[in-house]
Amino acid sequence: MTPPPRAPLLAAPLLATTVVGSWSVPEWLERAKTGVHHGSVSRGQLAEMHDMAVKAALKDQELAGIDIVSDGELRRDNDIDHILSRLPGVTVRNPVKAYYFDYLDVGIDRPLPEFEPGPLALAADFAFTRAHTDRPIKFSLTGPFSLARRVRTEAYADPAELVRALARALNAEARSLADAGAELIQIDEPFLAGYPESAALAVEAINIVTEGVGVTWALHVCYGNRYARPLWEGHYDFLFPAVLDARVDQLVLEFARKGDADLALIAKYGWDRSLGVGVVDVKSEQVEPESVIAHRIRRAVDVVGPEKVLVNPDCGLRHLPAAVARDKLRAMVAATHTLRTELESR
Amino acid sequence: MLVEVRPTGRLRGKDPVDVTAALDPVLRALCAGAVDLSRVRVVCDWVQYKQNFREPVDVRIVAPDPRLNGRGADTVEVAVDLRRPVDDVGAALAATDDDRMYLEDWGPGRRSCIWQFNGLYWSHLRLWEEATGQGYESALPGGQSDATNTDGARELIGELFAIWDDLAARQALPEQLYVVELGVGNGSQAATFLDTFLEMDRAAGREYYRRLHYLMCDYSPHVLELARAAVATHSENVSSFVLDAMHPMTALSFLRFTVFLVYISNVYDNLPTDELASIGQREYVVETRAYLPAATAAQIAADLAIGVDALPALVHRLLTLGPPLLAEASPHVADTAAAVAFWRRCWEGLRLAERYVPLDGLDTYEIARGISGEALRPLLAATGDVRMHVGNGAVASFAETMPLLHPYGRLICHDLFVTDTHMYRTGFRGPGKYDGSVVNWVNGPLLAHIGHRKGFDVRFAPFAHRAGSFVQTMTAQVRE
Repeated sequence: MTPPPRAPLLAAPLLATTVVGSWSVPEWLERAKTGVHHGSVSRGQLAEMHDMAVKAALKDQELAGIDIVSDGELRRDNDIDHILSRLPGVTVRNPVKAYYFDYLDVGIDRPLPEFEPGPLALAADFAFTRAHTDRPIKFSLTGPFSLARRVRTEAYADPAELVRALARALNAEARSLADAGAELIQIDEPFLAGYPESAALAVEAINIVTEGVGVTWALHVCYGNRYARPLWEGHYDFLFPAVLDARVDQLVLEFARKGDADLALIAKYGWDRSLGVGVVDVKSEQVEPESVIAHRIRRAVDVVGPEKVLVNPDCGLRHLPAAVARDKLRAMVAATHTLRTELESR
Repeated sequence: MLVEVRPTGRLRGKDPVDVTAALDPVLRALCAGAVDLSRVRVVCDWVQYKQNFREPVDVRIVAPDPRLNGRGADTVEVAVDLRRPVDDVGAALAATDDDRMYLEDWGPGRRSCIWQFNGLYWSHLRLWEEATGQGYESALPGGQSDATNTDGARELIGELFAIWDDLAARQALPEQLYVVELGVGNGSQAATFLDTFLEMDRAAGREYYRRLHYLMCDYSPHVLELARAAVATHSENVSSFVLDAMHPMTALSFLRFTVFLVYISNVYDNLPTDELASIGQREYVVETRAYLPAATAAQIAADLAIGVDALPALVHRLLTLGPPLLAEASPHVADTAAAVAFWRRCWEGLRLAERYVPLDGLDTYEIARGISGEALRPLLAATGDVRMHVGNGAVASFAETMPLLHPYGRLICHDLFVTDTHMYRTGFRGPGKYDGSVVNWVNGPLLAHIGHRKGFDVRFAPFAHRAGSFVQTMTAQVRE
């Protein structure tokens, strides 16, 4: 199936460097986030801390030389709660957590309504980021399939309907983000690898999210990074050929930790759009040598061509110490420069 | 003056402790002295280990916070073992440094030379067993390890098969199926597991045995040698490593995220630990200093025909060299048997002096590499004034073991666990002496807290396959 016409790709240099989303969370911020649940920190104080932390994360990425930056997802307790708990119609069964990173217990009592643009009010997060960097920004949304895995509900007889309803909510949010100036939105599906039989449903839902929203769309699928651990093992073959039907412009995958044998799938199925290549292992604190990263980029370039390669870590940097995260990004940028020089001399 | 009686369970029921009678001479002796009674705390324990590191009555200093710039005064803690009444409490309270032959300087408990003695025991277990005429398992409670149990193995293997069946159905089952055992004892657990595994695999016809790789790890080469013999019939499926349980990654990092079962039995309680105390809403580390009572030291030195002042150096040579080399290196030790005898006498006499040193914030204290003392904050905050084990060695081992586990893997650990921090307020949890080794109950809530922060669900349950055991089974597996 041929995908419909896509939005023009975000203007970015050859082999643009970027991040997947999350940035290293300092221990003091973890304590403050947890403290909100225990009454030792107010929400107002935490909001100020978030602002400071986001500005610092942007600066860290800029200093490392990242071309497309993110807010580090530092306002988010985890990949689920920041989105689900804001969605009208979602009930938080117990808003108090022992540890901020825990997932909330959330449910939906009756089918979700259709939403006006911006039901999650994330445009304010984007606007703050936009105001504090002049670089292109990647803004991430956890995808409808993964969100649905964390919802307890009997409101939908068919679980697929819940996924589609959440996709419509995300579509409404994406419209608001686009109106606020977002150019690149990434859909993260961290749970999909655990349910390979659901790839077609996930892709159908992704297309609902992206419908009519004129931004560059990325799709990130990994094997999980919660607590710096993979949630599943396996290969990306479950994504194909279903993902070819996804109306997205970039596919962002992890290759550093798992090895890049799955690059063959990209070639085999003829993925013809951009590929975000994970070239830095975010589950290891060892900083990869530039030569190793350069080799990883080179192999991806050989498969899809340089004009379609984006360079990024395997996943978010949330669980790495900040110094390690910075060093990894610097090494990644340096390796990318090496490749750019190589390509220019060809 | 504050009097704290911890073993409250022994104040009632059959043969209750007469705490009034026990405290009377202590209080009288204190009142007869010159100490500022408003700065005295009397703490009563029931030290259930017949071999331990304490005198029936000990005096400890609680040092003032250095931030008071000398304006604070010491508090004195008098520790009383209710199991061992003392006639002359006054003499015990008046004990001075002259009554002790110190073997080291003050330091956190995990740095004490008692852990070198512990390491010596496992490194030279064969010599110890020859000298005592007993295998080390006879020193365990009940005289046997809780690790060997066919019913338990059968249950565990059945659960593994179910997970593997599910992964196989999704084409996500790795070719190699790894099981790791830390602390293999004499190999009977490994043998039971492997025999049962083979039997169940043949019955089910799954061919998992062919893919199984069982890694036996132990600190003691002697123990590992015995274990290898016990599993000789499974030699093609078994590898063995001499390994410090506190640092499993040193040998096993190649197994990151791949191990389906890590099995640990009676290891954590034998790893170095500090103790921390919260006294008056301030945190202290318990510093210790190993010594021999002066009379014991004099007798040992006389028997070796050395001056008593030479004894500490000889002890440290023993701990560094081990008995066989000490016999070669020291003219005062006739042979290996004499060196072992020297070792055993020192061990028997070994005591720990203690003092409380204030911490300048929990974050200045490192539990294990990369794990800040901040992890203790919720436990201390929830328990009030309490003294608890940190279990530094257990934490280090646990934290390094979790990354080995496959997303569907599980860690199972049988050990002496404190499962609620309140237990520290009602009982003595070590250190004690088990044969030639050290034992401390393990701080289960701290492991659970650290595991939780790493995404693991950590649960405790009484060991299911032997009644009347204090042993708990800790299970850790990936949450969500």
